[in-house]
Amino acid sequence: MSSLRAVRERNESAWLIPSDQRRVNAALRDSMRHYDESEEVDLVVVGCGAGGSTLMQRMARHGWKIVGFDAGPFWDPEHDWVSDEAGSHTLYWTDPRTIGGADPVPLGSNNSGRGVGGSMVHYAGYTPRFHPSDFATATNDGVGADWPFDYDALESYYELIEQELPVAGQDWPWGRPHSYPQTAHPVGGNGELFQRGAAALGIETRVGPVAISNGRFGHRPHCIYRGFCLQGCKVNAKASPLITHLPDALAHGVEIRPDTMVTRIGFDERTGRATGVHFIRESEGVERFQPARMVAVAGYSIETPRLLLNSATDRRFPDGMLNDHDLVGRYLMVQGAPQTAARFDAEVRMYKAPPPEVSSEAFYETDPTKPYKRGFSIQTVSPLPITWAEHVSAQGDWGRDLREKMSDYVHWATLGALCELLPQPDNRVTLSEEKDRFGLPVAHFAYTQCENDKQLIEAAGTAMTHILHAAGGTDAITFQRYAHLVGGARMGRTAEDGVVDGDCRAFAVPNLMITDGSVLPTQGSANPALTIMAVAARAADRLAARS
Amino acid sequence: MSAGGRRGDAWQHRFPGFSVVGQSQHWDEATRKVVLARLEPPKPITSLPEEVRPAGVALVAQLVAVDADFAFALLSSIDARLAANETDGWHYDDMPIDHDAWKRSLAGLDEDATRSTGHPFAELTEDEQHEMLECLRTSSAHSWHGMPPARIWNLWTRYVCTAYYAHPSAWDEMGFPGPAYPRGYKNRGVDAREPFEVADRQPHMDPTVSSAP
Repeated sequence: MSSLRAVRERNESAWLIPSDQRRVNAALRDSMRHYDESEEVDLVVVGCGAGGSTLMQRMARHGWKIVGFDAGPFWDPEHDWVSDEAGSHTLYWTDPRTIGGADPVPLGSNNSGRGVGGSMVHYAGYTPRFHPSDFATATNDGVGADWPFDYDALESYYELIEQELPVAGQDWPWGRPHSYPQTAHPVGGNGELFQRGAAALGIETRVGPVAISNGRFGHRPHCIYRGFCLQGCKVNAKASPLITHLPDALAHGVEIRPDTMVTRIGFDERTGRATGVHFIRESEGVERFQPARMVAVAGYSIETPRLLLNSATDRRFPDGMLNDHDLVGRYLMVQGAPQTAARFDAEVRMYKAPPPEVSSEAFYETDPTKPYKRGFSIQTVSPLPITWAEHVSAQGDWGRDLREKMSDYVHWATLGALCELLPQPDNRVTLSEEKDRFGLPVAHFAYTQCENDKQLIEAAGTAMTHILHAAGGTDAITFQRYAHLVGGARMGRTAEDGVVDGDCRAFAVPNLMITDGSVLPTQGSANPALTIMAVAARAADRLAARS
Repeated sequence: MSAGGRRGDAWQHRFPGFSVVGQSQHWDEATRKVVLARLEPPKPITSLPEEVRPAGVALVAQLVAVDADFAFALLSSIDARLAANETDGWHYDDMPIDHDAWKRSLAGLDEDATRSTGHPFAELTEDEQHEMLECLRTSSAHSWHGMPPARIWNLWTRYVCTAYYAHPSAWDEMGFPGPAYPRGYKNRGVDAREPFEVADRQPHMDPTVSSAP
């Protein structure tokens, strides 16, 4: 297949993984390049998740000397990860953070990864594209914001990343119609019931899109449908940058410094340029400095603003780096993600097969007959026992009632919605009084829904209930939650409406970039991983073209 | 540790002969180590102060309907998390850090129980404990011992459900096979089972109906 050859030629990651039971190429990691702290590298990247890893892999291919920092471990899926919910807590960012506002958003396992591979290590694996409308909601709907570029500017990067992950799914009719490099996976009980209920109501569904390889891909094996996607894929079937971009980056001279917390960005008040990063290795506890010609921050929507705010300087940036217009930390978004479940006399056993199976984007766009703007998507989700207990106990059950309802687990099917909650200036990260173990102020995240948000969440719960009832389910219950993070250091056309420009370059410091989900001005009703990678891949191309 | 709970409840026997641990030879080594450790005798409680431990055991026993021995084991695993500051990665800004919230809320249970009955929480009858907890769960008060009652309930149920539903005996009770690597699943779809899964023998026992008040 020539397209597979083309993928391998630009990103060999899947072929650099051992083809046997070992999940890590030990030789590649052992022979990793190490840069001296007296040497100015071309680029340091803070955070080895979706955005940071994509940027590193691309720039390493241009011959750049790069060091990537991550606060967490450089994972070995076979030894570090387990097929167990409670045992997977190390995958999440569990350093302290405080939450507030009228509708506080829980963090940790809900939306925050830690370690090389980032949150994609524990995301479900859904990788839908944004719709063209997502790039101009202010113009089209009078809500949200316009991006500095449109869908067309990102489309070719979507295609590249979909091939590199790779993504499996049926031909996609929504947004800009497109197809996927791999055919759709077979579905389990949960997906089957979603399809049945939606079909009965005339709502279109499609299988996918998931970044879980359907068939062997390079040396990565086929999915075994064990259902623990959110606990890290021990199989190496589900895509995360740990296996999709970092092996190739290592082979092209990137150094990864895991278990290392970047404490602040170095800055020269005289030149107005970033000079590198200050960091503390977990094992040492002393602050060191890595000089670099360019710095890219990719710590995601909580840690990126926190690092910028913690990098205030005496003269140029007294209120936090890049914070000239009080934008750092603001317009942080989460998706309203109610989950509705219903009971079937048949056994559904939703834990079998990956939680991400079937989606519908039939409600994605603004419906002029509704009182609210924008929309939501619906997807299968398949909570494992601990998460399911959270659903059941949220209905008010405890003690014997809880145990009894939990014993009914195999009979329940669950759908989840992603509602496009709007970006608002007061939904933001600030620094808390509380300090972490390095003595750094932790992030405080305030969140309050607006009226449009509440209407969307309500409508999504109703739609899911109808679908499950149409499939023959009874006793529907809805559990309110949030999913994903984007925004907090958004891109804009000017310094007055963005921290960075469309190429992810900071307006206020010429050699500082932000290449993660925090630059997104809107979020659509799509899971953000693919778009974060595509935006970073585009930023890398633009950077290479300028250099 | 064996499963706690009052015997004779039909819902505890929906999957006859199903044993998650009986399949542990099919698990990978890293997972086996983590899961089987939960069957070991509980470690001593070190982080929560001695005076609040009886209330802690009684609270856990109530929240997931287990006996005192099992409740102690669950509290011990919660205590280990609190000692290591292994939180969920956030706390509400109107709440203290998780460790302090646990300590204060358990002391609060004893204080309330003592004020109304002259006895600490652990010495109340099960019905009295149940009533006190249900009052707290449904309370619309802004503050209970300096903390919002809804937040306390959320903290307790998060930690206790995580501890209980991490235990293989809880999975036996719900027909969930637990760890699934490297074996995976072959028979997916409605009413499809693997050879090692056991059919629910009471598929029509809908608890949302049977236990409705």
